Amino acid sequence: MSQLQARFFTEDKRYVVDDVPFSIPAGSEVEDLSNVINKLLLAKNASHSKVDFDFLVRGQFLRTSLSFHMETEGISTEEVVEIEYVERVTAPEPEECMMHDDWISSVDAGWSYDKTARIWSVEGKAWNSERNKVKARHCCRGHTGSVDTVATDPTGSKFCSGSWDKMLKIWSAVPTDEADEVEEPADRPRKKQKTQQLGLTRTPLMTLSGHNEAVSSVLWCDSEEVCSASWDHTIRVWDVETGGMKTTLTGSKVFNCISYSPLCRRLASGSTDRHIRLYDPRTKDGSLVLLSLTSHTGWVTAVKWAPSHEHQLVSGSLDNLVKLWDTRSCKAPLYDLAAHEDKVFCVDWTESGLMLSGGADNKLYTYRYSACQTDAGA
Amino acid sequence: EDEDLSDSEDSVYSGLEDSGSDSEDDEDEEEALDAAADDDEEEEKEEQAQRVEFTCQLTADWLRLFSVFSCRMSPDIRNTVGNIPMEWYRDFPHIGYDLDGKKIYKPIRNKDELDDFLDKMENPDYWRTVHDKQTGSDIILSDDQVELVNRLQRGQFGDVNFNEYQPSVEFFSKDVMIHPVTNRPADKRSFIPSLIEKEKVSKLVHAIKMGWIKPRRVEDDSRGRYYDLWSTEDSSILAKHKMHLPAPKIPLPGHQESYNPPPEYLFTDEERALWEQQDPSDRKLPFVPVRFSSLRQVPAFPRFIHERFERCLDLYLCPRQRKMRVNVNPEDLIPKLPKPKDLQPFPTTQSLVYQGHSGLVRSISVSPSGQWLASGSDDGSVRFWEVRSSRCMKTVQVGGAVKSVAWNPNPSVCLLAVALDSVVLLLSPSLADRQVVSASERLLSGQDEVEPAEGAGPVTWGEAEGEELNQGIRLRIQHPKAVHQVVWHTKGDYLASVMPDHSSHLQVFIHQVSRRRSQNPFRRNKGLVQCVSFHPVRPYFFVATQRSVRIYNLVKQEMTKKLQANSKWISSMAVHPGGDHVICGSYDCRLSWFDLDLSTKPYKMLRHHKKAVRGVAYHRVYPLFASASDDGSVIICHGTVYNDLLQNPLIVPVKVLRGHVITHDLGVLDVTFHPTQPWIFSSGADATIRLFT
Repeated sequence: MSQLQARFFTEDKRYVVDDVPFSIPAGSEVEDLSNVINKLLLAKNASHSKVDFDFLVRGQFLRTSLSFHMETEGISTEEVVEIEYVERVTAPEPEECMMHDDWISSVDAGWSYDKTARIWSVEGKAWNSERNKVKARHCCRGHTGSVDTVATDPTGSKFCSGSWDKMLKIWSAVPTDEADEVEEPADRPRKKQKTQQLGLTRTPLMTLSGHNEAVSSVLWCDSEEVCSASWDHTIRVWDVETGGMKTTLTGSKVFNCISYSPLCRRLASGSTDRHIRLYDPRTKDGSLVLLSLTSHTGWVTAVKWAPSHEHQLVSGSLDNLVKLWDTRSCKAPLYDLAAHEDKVFCVDWTESGLMLSGGADNKLYTYRYSACQTDAGA
Repeated sequence: EDEDLSDSEDSVYSGLEDSGSDSEDDEDEEEALDAAADDDEEEEKEEQAQRVEFTCQLTADWLRLFSVFSCRMSPDIRNTVGNIPMEWYRDFPHIGYDLDGKKIYKPIRNKDELDDFLDKMENPDYWRTVHDKQTGSDIILSDDQVELVNRLQRGQFGDVNFNEYQPSVEFFSKDVMIHPVTNRPADKRSFIPSLIEKEKVSKLVHAIKMGWIKPRRVEDDSRGRYYDLWSTEDSSILAKHKMHLPAPKIPLPGHQESYNPPPEYLFTDEERALWEQQDPSDRKLPFVPVRFSSLRQVPAFPRFIHERFERCLDLYLCPRQRKMRVNVNPEDLIPKLPKPKDLQPFPTTQSLVYQGHSGLVRSISVSPSGQWLASGSDDGSVRFWEVRSSRCMKTVQVGGAVKSVAWNPNPSVCLLAVALDSVVLLLSPSLADRQVVSASERLLSGQDEVEPAEGAGPVTWGEAEGEELNQGIRLRIQHPKAVHQVVWHTKGDYLASVMPDHSSHLQVFIHQVSRRRSQNPFRRNKGLVQCVSFHPVRPYFFVATQRSVRIYNLVKQEMTKKLQANSKWISSMAVHPGGDHVICGSYDCRLSWFDLDLSTKPYKMLRHHKKAVRGVAYHRVYPLFASASDDGSVIICHGTVYNDLLQNPLIVPVKVLRGHVITHDLGVLDVTFHPTQPWIFSSGADATIRLFT
């Protein structure tokens, strides 16, 4: 068995070992390397208890034997290999399962299929509060197709909605007690009653048109930029101030969902061809796929970056699986969360490190994910 | 001694020349002979060349012989003129001079021709009489002389006693003797180059240089000793000869035809049985190899006549002309189809399953926006699904097995036509914007006042009430018979319904929704109508009966074309969005593509399905069409249509989609494409609808 020269380093102060090269067997896997580090730590500090580590070789997680990994990555085995090690993130634990009486399509706000965007007054962080507690404050009229997606801007003063009628509309989110413009459709008394129940009517501040197909997902990159994904195979970045389109990223399949991480400044998109693709929204020259994450077997319906980790994202798919990904390990996901019994429609993170997923089996699962806190500094 | 020898020889020959020689001369010769003999005796012991001795002996013999002659001739006249032509003395009386210088006179010749003849007849010695020109006398040769002449004429030696085959002594042999014949040292000149030769060579060289001698001329071969005799011949004649076919040759006999063939050529019992069973034309050999111990036992060839006859047949029937057969690989004749990979996008995998029906789903239809999907099932319900989440948004119980559903293609209204039993229902599912919903309501309720005029017709229009109204049912169009299919016109105002019936001419109705009017466009019954369709652009109407598709012009009210489908029973039909192409599926597993500009016959027949084709569909945007069959599969084909009339449509089967479970021998019943995406919906007998993307 051939030997390799390897130098271990970490950014975690608790587990620092001496910065000297070690000769390790080329065929050693993650478990072997983890044992090596544990031995070293034990020799240094007798009170050390065993910790599982994960290893990064040039920014890629080690998943196979070291020699095979270096062969596929094209790393020379002649030199000293720099291996970074981090504490292994433990598997997310299903913490809670909340039954709903219908399909859960979104964990931030329910889809409204009656052509209006409603603002629900959300009380605190109680996202799972029962709907009958929530009171509709405003009824925002303007879309001619069903509204499929809404997103509030970082300041909370505006929100944007995307609809099946190919339009994006930007609305004011400042709650007021008077309707902007009461435009009464007098001919249908039944509808009128409904709108009155829903609260005050609003009209959009701005309409962004340009998509050729239904808008499936919308989000705010920052307070001036809105990003939207559509069924016409494009992701467009809009300037909210001028109302103009800034960038178009063209894909080959229908986009179901997008997510933007301000930490790594990447867009992640889930589409109908089972792949999660990462884009850089700042590139001007069309669509350049940075990375493609493939493991799902159905449409990817939801994708979300971790709020506190620049490498991790979670995705949900029609194949009933929620997967936790690390972009440093693009071949396979970190963990498959197979809790759902039917299609997964939505995933999200909370600030407190909870992962949420909801789907067609009327269940909303939360997962406790401990590694987020520890990895936050990494 | 050599000189002596030569002298004596000369004299001998001269003596022979003049047979009648002088006695003196003869005596001289005798003396010489004696001297020679003496010499011989004396020097017998000396070593001399045998040849020399032999010549001497010969000379002695000759001399002895002539001495005999001279004894016979009593008057010894010796002529001294020498060896000259005797003609010189022809005109003289004498013939020469004797030894004393006196003239020798010619003997008197008195013999004439007659005497000569008589002499020839009578004289027994005439044959041996010789005329001596030098003396002019006749000499009669003695027996010895005749014998000598005979011997010489035979090429033998004159002396009888001479042995010409004496044993020879090899003096000059390869063996070096202790006493060599000659022991002379080699001459100096044998070591140095010959000056004479050098001189001769230099002369030749000089002559060649001066051009006096020309070296051997190189033969001029421009014409060529060998040339193509027929090179200038007419090429047509040559071509004719080139095409000549020689008569077939008889194959050479093989070992099996031998009278004693090697044992491996003899038939075993099985081979023999096989040979006897085979048809004579199939046999490898026309005879059975037989072994005989000897050629003598071989019987007569029994098939001789037969074989000759066959040979004659061969010669008679042999091809006289070379046939120019084109050797084409049949694979090469198939046009090169592009690979399915290059024809993306098309649906490849099953993505969503819409579950909820409890009976087989006969018909599906997608809303023009592509957001909603309507399905009609045998369980008596119409369901509305959201396409992207497979959620059933609405279920309408209509109370009967639904045969056909059709979404109004006009995007500004939201209406669904449903055919069940003998009723066509118009549903307003309220799955759209307020304006759209209100527009569709307005369309349905617009022309109430026109209704009374229609009361007498076979079709009655009625408004839904009560619970049905709440469910969304707006209008009921009552038909006389069971309705099998409903189709909308592109504008969304006209609706055609089909009631297949052999006996009636009321098979097709066209309804105008806005005015609530119905009309039967056909006066006569032209066969069992299977399905109908509107032309997407022009005012044409397609009616498919069991075997053919008729195209009617609705404005001129006449038939413009009749397409002959080469199939037994058409099941479904779809019109290309461009309007120039039609596909028909049939119950005998075929799919026919008609190019209306090309012919009334199918441009292409596709037989990919194993069982009856139930549904066909064109995509509105992408160059795709699909067929659904009872074998549970949906076959997606790429069908590019070119604007260029000269270019035929390119049809490539790209994908077989499986997923539906075959229940009650029924597989996929209906198929339809998503209006904007390259996705396909299929509904099956297993009560599911599947989306393939």
